[in-house]
Amino acid sequence: MSKLKVAFYNLSGCSGCLLSIINCEDSLLDIFNAANVVSFLMAQSNNREEEQDLAFLDGSVTTDEQEEFLLHLRPRTKKVVALGTCACYGGVQAMENAKGTFERRFEKVYGKTPFTIVKAFESKPVDAVIPVDYYIPGCPIDGDLFLYNYARLLKELPVDMPKTPVCRECKWQENECLLLKNQLCLGPVTAGGCKARCPSHNLPCIGCFGPADEANLTSEFNLLKEKGYNFAEIERKLRLFGGTKFINSFRELWKSPAAKNQKTQLRKG
Amino acid sequence: MKEPKVKHQEIRIPQVARVEGHGNILVEIQKDKVKNVKLNIPEGPRLFETLVIGKTPAEATSIVPRICAICSVSHRYAAIRAFERALGYKVTKETHLLRTLMHYGEMIESHALHAFVLALPDFLNYPSAIAMTDRFAPQVLKALKLKKFGNHIMEITTARYTHGENPTVGGFGKTPTVSELMEIKSEAEKLVPDAEELIELMRTLEYPTAMEDGMVFMCLKPPTDKYGFVGDKVLISTGEEAPIERYLELTNERIVDHSTAKRCRYKERPYVVGAIARINLLGERLRGKAGDAFRRCYSLSWIRNPLYNNLAQAIEILFVLEDIPEIIDELVTHKETLSIKTKIQKPPTLTGKNVGAVEAPRGTLYHYYEITRGLVTGANLVIPTTQNLDAIENHLRIAATNLLNTLQSRPIGKLSAEERIEIERILEMVVRAYDPCISCSVHLVDLSCS
Repeated sequence: MSKLKVAFYNLSGCSGCLLSIINCEDSLLDIFNAANVVSFLMAQSNNREEEQDLAFLDGSVTTDEQEEFLLHLRPRTKKVVALGTCACYGGVQAMENAKGTFERRFEKVYGKTPFTIVKAFESKPVDAVIPVDYYIPGCPIDGDLFLYNYARLLKELPVDMPKTPVCRECKWQENECLLLKNQLCLGPVTAGGCKARCPSHNLPCIGCFGPADEANLTSEFNLLKEKGYNFAEIERKLRLFGGTKFINSFRELWKSPAAKNQKTQLRKG
Repeated sequence: MKEPKVKHQEIRIPQVARVEGHGNILVEIQKDKVKNVKLNIPEGPRLFETLVIGKTPAEATSIVPRICAICSVSHRYAAIRAFERALGYKVTKETHLLRTLMHYGEMIESHALHAFVLALPDFLNYPSAIAMTDRFAPQVLKALKLKKFGNHIMEITTARYTHGENPTVGGFGKTPTVSELMEIKSEAEKLVPDAEELIELMRTLEYPTAMEDGMVFMCLKPPTDKYGFVGDKVLISTGEEAPIERYLELTNERIVDHSTAKRCRYKERPYVVGAIARINLLGERLRGKAGDAFRRCYSLSWIRNPLYNNLAQAIEILFVLEDIPEIIDELVTHKETLSIKTKIQKPPTLTGKNVGAVEAPRGTLYHYYEITRGLVTGANLVIPTTQNLDAIENHLRIAATNLLNTLQSRPIGKLSAEERIEIERILEMVVRAYDPCISCSVHLVDLSCS
């Protein structure tokens, strides 16, 4: 059987997910030998853009050039995998999304200088531009989970990611719950896969793997409210890595009567 | 077969490979003379300076490492230093030592990746380190072992290879155990011969000279007479010294239209930061085997040829490996109290402003924050690659001019495919030598929110 043609690309992000692949030092040669790596700009210079079986995308979409690239990529690629929280949900750079502040923020950084090289816009996940077949979130992705799924994909099996939240992995580590210690932990609503690293270091989960499939956002929201956190604090945390996904669900909650009460109270306060 | 359409009046490298992020090189030629050289940066802006506004120092400290995965520890460390200087923290010696150790982990990982995996293939004419395994398998495996060790240190000290949350403003969430630390110490000692071997390999390579030009160097001045990567003063090769509070006038950022990354100049001149700057300014401080390596490798070419940055990185790896045992011995002196000494402290005040700086693997990194009643109200970050971009363009211009001159003014349209490939190879090497972190350089700068 001939090797699958695989490509790795980086859009707007820190390149941490591609680096996490290069960080699999013990398996690096296997990663390259098990497939025909046709493009990996960060790791090799003999890249070719052609028909391919698998494309891994790291980073979010923030320029017209990237949009165009994706529209050309999709028809020549069998399966597209969004790699990391940026590609899956927009990443940290999407935390202010839907606030309508992009133009103003852009001007704050770059001033009014005409800036011609690319047209930039509010960061969006890959599936806002082209259909995505599989999602492997994480900021950055976990190397072990990548290797497991890379092997599956090369055998043309679907990606298999944890569906349960960080809390489950945290319990396996036998950590004392940080929420019970009154820390604003996003463990209950964040996708697992990180081995509950932060809570295991006495630090609350910041949500870097993005929303968990089985997250009960309402329950987390009410719990945090009971603990005395205000709406702004909770929203800020959920926005950090949740991208549009968390923000939309949160909007729904915000509209609920319980939230409205809180809003009024805050205003009075 | 139809001739490919090549614009004869330019050399274009559409995407520089084996660097972090996206950049392309354009050399414009008019009447067989190099007219203009541009390192275009078309990265998507992520506007980090605006993302940290309205966040707590802890949240901002989690956000900024995401600027760049390769130097995420340095970003975190610079932010921590800025917040602590702004809010009046005094951290313990143990916290400082543990931070030095985590920073060393990043230095080894990043340098091993750049020098041996990304840059070395150029010198040996390979497309990648993976391809090098046909003849250089032991060396590639040694480089990967070093890189893995750097990652291991970061995992133990910061909780993850990349974007580890453990180091925070005021201390650490959890302290590594004594046995974890001792294991790091013994592994560092074991890896010294590998680092020496790789230095020797890099020392004996042939260094192209077409891009040579005098450079101005800048780096942080360590507080003691030891070599190091942290300080509150800046050393400049012109003999000047300045406190980091003057970072704005040292860096003078400006915007150019062909790049989403800003540009810096010191007194109207391009300047260079990174391993080559540190070795040029602080190399005499190196002791032990790293000191021997420095004396064996160093020559006056180092002040003109940016390609020696790769060798400088290799020497820094050796310095770090030799220093780790000392750091760990000091850390475990009072092992019973280590976790108490590194515990997160509370902020003395909630309002303040200041700058913090560390040497990232690729050069001086400044983070400046204003905090008002516990929330960030202003931020300004100046990134090493931003500082190096003008120097990179300068060296590209010189290389292109010299390389075309050696072709005895033959019209560029008549360059053979081999000549073109060779020119492109050397231009790419110039960019790569600086270890640019392109996506890192893009998103930061110049904002003070009122």
